[in-house]
Order: sequence, then C-alpha cells, then structure tokens
Amino acid sequence: MTANDEAATGRMPLGARVHLAHALVQKLATEGGVDLLHLKGPALLPDLRPPGRRSSDVDVLVRPSHVARLVVALESIGWEQRTDFATGSVFAHAANWWHDDWGWVDVHVHWPGVTIDAEDAYDVLAASAVIVDIAHVPCVAPDRVGQLLVLVLHSARTVGSTEADFAWSRTDDSEQAAVRALATTLRAEVALAAGLGELEDFRDHPTYALWRHVSTGGSRLDEWRARLAAAPTTRARAKLFADVLRVNRDHLRMELGHAPTRQDLRRRQAVRLRRAAREIARLGRRHRA
Amino acid sequence: MTTFRIADDVAWVSREDFDDGGAPMAYAALLPTGRPMSLEGSACLVWLAVAEGGSLDEIVGATALMADAEPGAIRDDVRTLLESLVAGGLVRAD
Repeated sequence: MTANDEAATGRMPLGARVHLAHALVQKLATEGGVDLLHLKGPALLPDLRPPGRRSSDVDVLVRPSHVARLVVALESIGWEQRTDFATGSVFAHAANWWHDDWGWVDVHVHWPGVTIDAEDAYDVLAASAVIVDIAHVPCVAPDRVGQLLVLVLHSARTVGSTEADFAWSRTDDSEQAAVRALATTLRAEVALAAGLGELEDFRDHPTYALWRHVSTGGSRLDEWRARLAAAPTTRARAKLFADVLRVNRDHLRMELGHAPTRQDLRRRQAVRLRRAAREIARLGRRHRA
Repeated sequence: MTTFRIADDVAWVSREDFDDGGAPMAYAALLPTGRPMSLEGSACLVWLAVAEGGSLDEIVGATALMADAEPGAIRDDVRTLLESLVAGGLVRAD
C-alpha cells in the first residue's frame, strides 16, 4: 500500500494529467490574482461532453490585461513557452506552454470569431461564469450558453470537426436563441454561422472567405487570400504581406525538436517559396482551363 | 481523537473521472509545487476513504468494506500509508 511519484515513472494517463493541470492552473491564477476561464475538456458541463472524447491539453481564456501575470505564474513552476501569440495560429489568439509533468497549456487572449475588444469580451463571458469542480478544485468556466458558443466557434475553425455537434444536439430552441444572442453581443455572428453550417448567409461579409477556408480547408494561397480579404485596415494588410513568406520559428522548433538553426530557417524558406510558386502555377492553370 | 482528511491544496482524480475501467486508481498532487502521485489498488481505496474524512478506525472500516477485508488485517498498512500521506502534505491530521 504505497503512494508513488507518478511523474517520475511517466505512467500517468493523459486524462488524469489534464484534470490535475486544470486544477493547478486555477491555483496559480487564484494566488496570482489572474482572471481566467477554463474552456472545453473537463471544464465542460457534463452533458455537453461527448462520450469517450478526451482532451490532450488545458485551454484557458485569460483576461488580456492579466496575461503577463499568468505567464509569470506558469513559468515560476517550470512551464516553458513553446509558441507565442503572433505565430500560434492564423488568428494570433493563443500561445502555448509545456511542462514535463503537466503537459500543454494553451493560453488564449481572445477566442477566434469574437470581434469586439478582447477585454470587453472577457467581461461578457465572465459576467455569467460558473464554478466547475475539476480534480476537486473549484475552477471558473463560462456558463452553459458561453460554453456552447465557445464550442461552436472552435468547431468553425477546425476542418471536419464534429466536436460541437454533440453539444448543440443537446440544446433546445431557447438555448440556441441564447447562444445566438450572445454571439450578437460578442459580434461573433459570422463565426457562429460557420460553425453551424449557415455561413452562406454571410456571403458578402469581409470575413466570409476566411471562415470558409478555416471551416472547409484549402491551399495556403487560399488561406492568405482569405486573410487579406478579412484584414480590416491597410496597415493590417501590409503586415500580412510581410508575414506571407516568413518562416514560423515556433512551429519549426516543434517540428524539429530543437531551436532552428540559420540553415534550418533558410531550408524552410526555400520550401515555402517553392510551395507558393506551385500553388500560384496551379491557380494559373485552373483559371486557363 | 485524530481525524484525517484530504488537505486543502490538493487536487486529485480517481479513475472514474477520466476512464471507465480497470483497477482502482487515483492521482493526487499538492498544489502548486507538488509532483503528481499515484495511489493504486488498496492505496486508492484508503484515499477514497480519507476523502470522506474520519478517524483511523473509521478509515480502516471504510477501506475494509470496499476491499472486502477484515479491518484487523489491514489496520497497520492503512496507518502506515496515512502517516506517509500526512508527511507528504496530501492528507491533514487534525
């Protein structure tokens, strides 16, 4: 009859680790005065969780003005940053940290699809937050309507995702109306439509092509074209042009398993240029055909 | 009389929280700096008894009931494990 140091053996199941890591992040947030909301996985209300589905990481939405405090807290116990907010995704919305005992934490400063100011959006979601026990620790999470919206918006940017289907199928008309009202408050109507298969209702919207791309897939060229169409200002478009051929160091580091050398970066730059040339040539053939 | 309970800063899950089969198993950690620990088989049953709280006799009784064992046969082992958990900060003795 003994208690064993599980981390040392590396045998702890992923599900157990994710539960404990959520609790740990909440503890760090409470001690550090950080406002955050736990999203998805064990933070979901039980009847919204698809049976058999397990999370592989901890997702949290942090109040944007508290992100620096959270980073200090995470890194104080050994979490290491692996991607930054600018390069973490097409939406520049999240960065992630790795810990050998506790695994991945994805820190979101806004949720893709929500277009009002990120701090205001946090306030809206936090205003109706609920307490969910994760690993016997009270954790703060969006209420049921907020959780449903988060799931649908997430599925809107995941090709072939069925994650939200289960939860949406558990809702009645009044709950669906509440989710749509929340999406209106957060100005997330286009992304919600993408998640619900209603995107054609927004065919003339500047972000239509972007949501169609992220929800159905396409080439890198399609992605950049969609991102340019969705960029709200000339300055944003100029930045996108500069980013088009830049190698994502964080992703390359994860792919290689070590910090990329100059040679790695040059090699990857060449690959990106060749790929872009192929896609442009393919596009040209499609137009001529 | 000393009573035992899980310490305030402990996060823990048992197998049914994340799985639906296999032998009794729990995982616990003292937050924020403790490393995750596993409690397998009979140790997990003791942990689940401690989660309800109680004296040594009550924890031995609850564990014996779950394990279908004679309380007298497991008492020393339960006490030893409790002492170890208290020393590790996972269990509080009041």
